[in-house]
Amino acid sequence: MTSRLLLSLLLVASLLLVGCSEDEPPITVSLEKRQEISIQPRQPAITYAYLPQYSHTESFQRHHQLVEYLSEATGLPVRQVFPDTFDHHLSMFGQGEIDVSFSNPFIYVKLANRYGARAMARIIEKNGRAEFRGQIIARRDNDRITSLADCRGKSWVAVDPSSAGGYLFPLGHFFDHGLRLDDFREVVFAGGRQENVILGVYAGLHDIGSIREGSLQVVAGKIDLGQLKVIDHSPWYPGWVYAHSPRLSADTVDLIRNALLALDYQNNAQHRAILDAANFIGFVPSDDQDFDRIRTLSQKVGLNLD
Amino acid sequence: MISDLTRFLHNLRFRTKITLGMTCMLVFCGIGIGLTLSSMSSEALLEEGKKRGKAMTTGLAFRLTEPLLAMDFLQMSNLLDNAQRQYDDILYVFLTDAGANVLSHTFAGGFPTDLLRISDTRSEGRPLLLDTEQGRVYDFSAPITLGNNTLGTVRLGLSRSAIDAQIKRQQMASLVSTLAVVGVGVMLSLWFARTITHRLNRLRSSVEEIVTGNLDVHAGTTLAKYCWQIMNCHRQECPAYGDKQRRCWYLAGTLCPNCQVGEYPFKMESCRQCPVFRHNFGDELQDLAEAFDAMAVTVKNHIEELTERERTIARQQGILKTIVNVTPDFITLQDRDLRYTFAGKSFCDYFGLTEADVIGKNDFAIFSETRARSNTEEDREILATGKPLAKEVSIKRAGEHHWFHVVKVPVHDQDGSIMGILLTARDITMLKKFQEQLIQSQKLEDLGRLAGGVAHEINTPLGIILGYTQLLMDDIHDQELLDGLKTIEKQTKVCRKIVADLLGYSRQSQSVVGEVAINESLQEVINLVEHAFFLNRIKVVFLPDTAVTTLHGDKERLRQVWLNLLNNAADAIGQDGLIIVRSRLLPDTQRLEVSVADTGKGVAQHHLGKLFDPFFTTKQVGKGTGLGLSVSIGIIKDHGGTITALSPPPPPFFPDDLPKPKNGGPGTVFIVELPQTRSTETVSPPSISTT
Repeated sequence: MTSRLLLSLLLVASLLLVGCSEDEPPITVSLEKRQEISIQPRQPAITYAYLPQYSHTESFQRHHQLVEYLSEATGLPVRQVFPDTFDHHLSMFGQGEIDVSFSNPFIYVKLANRYGARAMARIIEKNGRAEFRGQIIARRDNDRITSLADCRGKSWVAVDPSSAGGYLFPLGHFFDHGLRLDDFREVVFAGGRQENVILGVYAGLHDIGSIREGSLQVVAGKIDLGQLKVIDHSPWYPGWVYAHSPRLSADTVDLIRNALLALDYQNNAQHRAILDAANFIGFVPSDDQDFDRIRTLSQKVGLNLD
Repeated sequence: MISDLTRFLHNLRFRTKITLGMTCMLVFCGIGIGLTLSSMSSEALLEEGKKRGKAMTTGLAFRLTEPLLAMDFLQMSNLLDNAQRQYDDILYVFLTDAGANVLSHTFAGGFPTDLLRISDTRSEGRPLLLDTEQGRVYDFSAPITLGNNTLGTVRLGLSRSAIDAQIKRQQMASLVSTLAVVGVGVMLSLWFARTITHRLNRLRSSVEEIVTGNLDVHAGTTLAKYCWQIMNCHRQECPAYGDKQRRCWYLAGTLCPNCQVGEYPFKMESCRQCPVFRHNFGDELQDLAEAFDAMAVTVKNHIEELTERERTIARQQGILKTIVNVTPDFITLQDRDLRYTFAGKSFCDYFGLTEADVIGKNDFAIFSETRARSNTEEDREILATGKPLAKEVSIKRAGEHHWFHVVKVPVHDQDGSIMGILLTARDITMLKKFQEQLIQSQKLEDLGRLAGGVAHEINTPLGIILGYTQLLMDDIHDQELLDGLKTIEKQTKVCRKIVADLLGYSRQSQSVVGEVAINESLQEVINLVEHAFFLNRIKVVFLPDTAVTTLHGDKERLRQVWLNLLNNAADAIGQDGLIIVRSRLLPDTQRLEVSVADTGKGVAQHHLGKLFDPFFTTKQVGKGTGLGLSVSIGIIKDHGGTITALSPPPPPFFPDDLPKPKNGGPGTVFIVELPQTRSTETVSPPSISTT
């Protein structure tokens, strides 16, 4: 009798214990003790901006190692800043909020013309060329578009009016093949984001899209690239360029240029990792004359560079 | 306390116990399940709240990445404010950079600095539980990372009270639903208990009926449809048709074509396939009740059979007991350990024991050690060899020797082994006496025949000697020679008297049969000896009974008997005594009795049985031959009578009003009993006639 009673009590106790499990002990915190907090001003540094052709996150992931390298290699504090748009990039450069600009040649020409920016180096694309070109894409199942001529009367989505590979180069290419802006049913811009152009075409919102070559790989894991086709490529133009503000001293510019040119993709694994993240493999020295072809193209298609 | 509770529970009715037990189980299970489910759901709600807080914090951290990179404080603030406004239970949200500097927050009126001083010991994704003035708060934290770089941290405070309220609502719902289910369960258990106990009460009532002796019980339920209705047979001669209380498979001798011969449960194999069984069989309680009814009927039949057998056995036992108790033989039964398992009444009475004194005891507890050892050795021999034993033993008890013919036989069990010993013993004392008397009679007959032969041969020469002696006495005048011849004549007559007695004993004397007046015969003999007795101062008193008349017999031989008895009485007295002769008619038997009582020295008890033996005498040597009473008993037997002797004489034979001599002995009485009338044929003729 006693053992059976004890067993019953243990069973009841176990059930009660199941129903009475307790949380972890709380930490006593006062929400009443308040203090006004002011944001600490940032330390002075050389600001580095990547033309926002991708999201800030992508921009950060591509360039923060390079930024850290420059800071370490030059001994100067370097901080990446993130303009929201191409125009924002231009205005920030003009306002002195960007000391080192990494932009497409079209923007560079604008920066040079407007704010006296000067080229330091051009990047070498993964294809080994210090040039790049634009691509005109469409959905693979869109049988109405198989050539440039088929693009007439279609909806065109471009990256940005200031985009080189994503707008200027394809526009020049259309010009060369007799197509003017009026020949398209509409021309819309994707806010400077290459991905938005690709996704707009992929979703069927637009008939064709113009992007810089290589952008399709950025969205390779997000969409089925087999659903897209490349209609045509633009001619090759000078590639993306590092330019400095005229406010920087010549020594500082040299330090930065030398640091960039010192990156060795072939022989230095650390440098290779930095350049892989940035999606190019090296630098070549560059100056302002390298971009006269851009200026010519702009004039041809009627774009204002000032 | 526990014992009181146990007793209380034990005394409850079974129906109450079932209800109480099921209620307790329901409550216990309900509470257990309710608590478990409530605990699980509370845990789930809590986990859900934590996951929601974590998801919100993580999502916010993701959305804050771009504004943080762009240092867009407006967007940061908007995101944080939107997040807080989205849910009421979010108390705060704030964002810090990699250096733990607060970049944006939702607090109005300053930032609670305690939040930054918390030692962050949380595991991956787990919130910290904070105890604040606004109640308990789950503090979630999500880092804003890009690759390996941590750009900042988002922290979100989720009120625990909202989760607790939800948990309480859920617990209340669980409690209410549990109570409802338990309530329904209790109602069902009440109905269930009532159903069960109703049927059990029927069983109990049946048991009580059986206890009171009524075996005609019906614990099972009445059939809704009888077997003949199902089988559509209407065979009224079937026992199942007439028995409406029991299912047909409990009955023997049913007439279904598929029904096997036999009784329940041996016919069940075929009954299980029957549509009647499939239609009428019930649950376990129904089976129990029906089996109980069948058992009651079976028990009733068995009891009736047993009662009849018991009567028969009791009758046989009574007969056997009567036989065993009435039989004078000793009967005992011993087991293998030689302990008595049975002892007859004669055995117990003889040894002055009760049955209780004998049963379970061995010989050493009953008999003397010597006899017990002897018996035990015999018994063990019988047990060992299996051979019966028969013997005659003499046992002296209460001063008397008794002879027993003892038979001991081994008693075999059903398997042939010896299970005990049966003893029977018969008292053969009388038989032994008869054997002795037979031997004695044979001796006397042989002696009488010898004596008769000798006397017959001697009688003639004695007659010649006496004749010649008397002739010589006539011729011889010499007085001396004449005295010698007289002596020869006297002694020769003595010899003739002896020879005549021997011839009488051997019944070889002449017999004259006629009517004999007994009183006259007695008076004549008394007159003959009265004078001679008087000389020795012996008085003879004759008390004749006038009812005594005559008998058919030999007068002379009877007179010889009377004379012999009177002479013996006078010899027993010697001098100064009294002899009472009495005749009497015995009214019941129509026989007459002649008694001769004296006041002599009497006869010892152990001599009484030998008085009538030839040549037995208590007289001195030369005073008697011991043939008188032998001859007398022979004469009386020839007349169909008997002679007995008693010493001292009982009062009827020696009236108190007669004076007894002062120096007299205890006295003796000889009683002669004769048939009053007797046919001539009944008198035995002499076997040897005189010549």
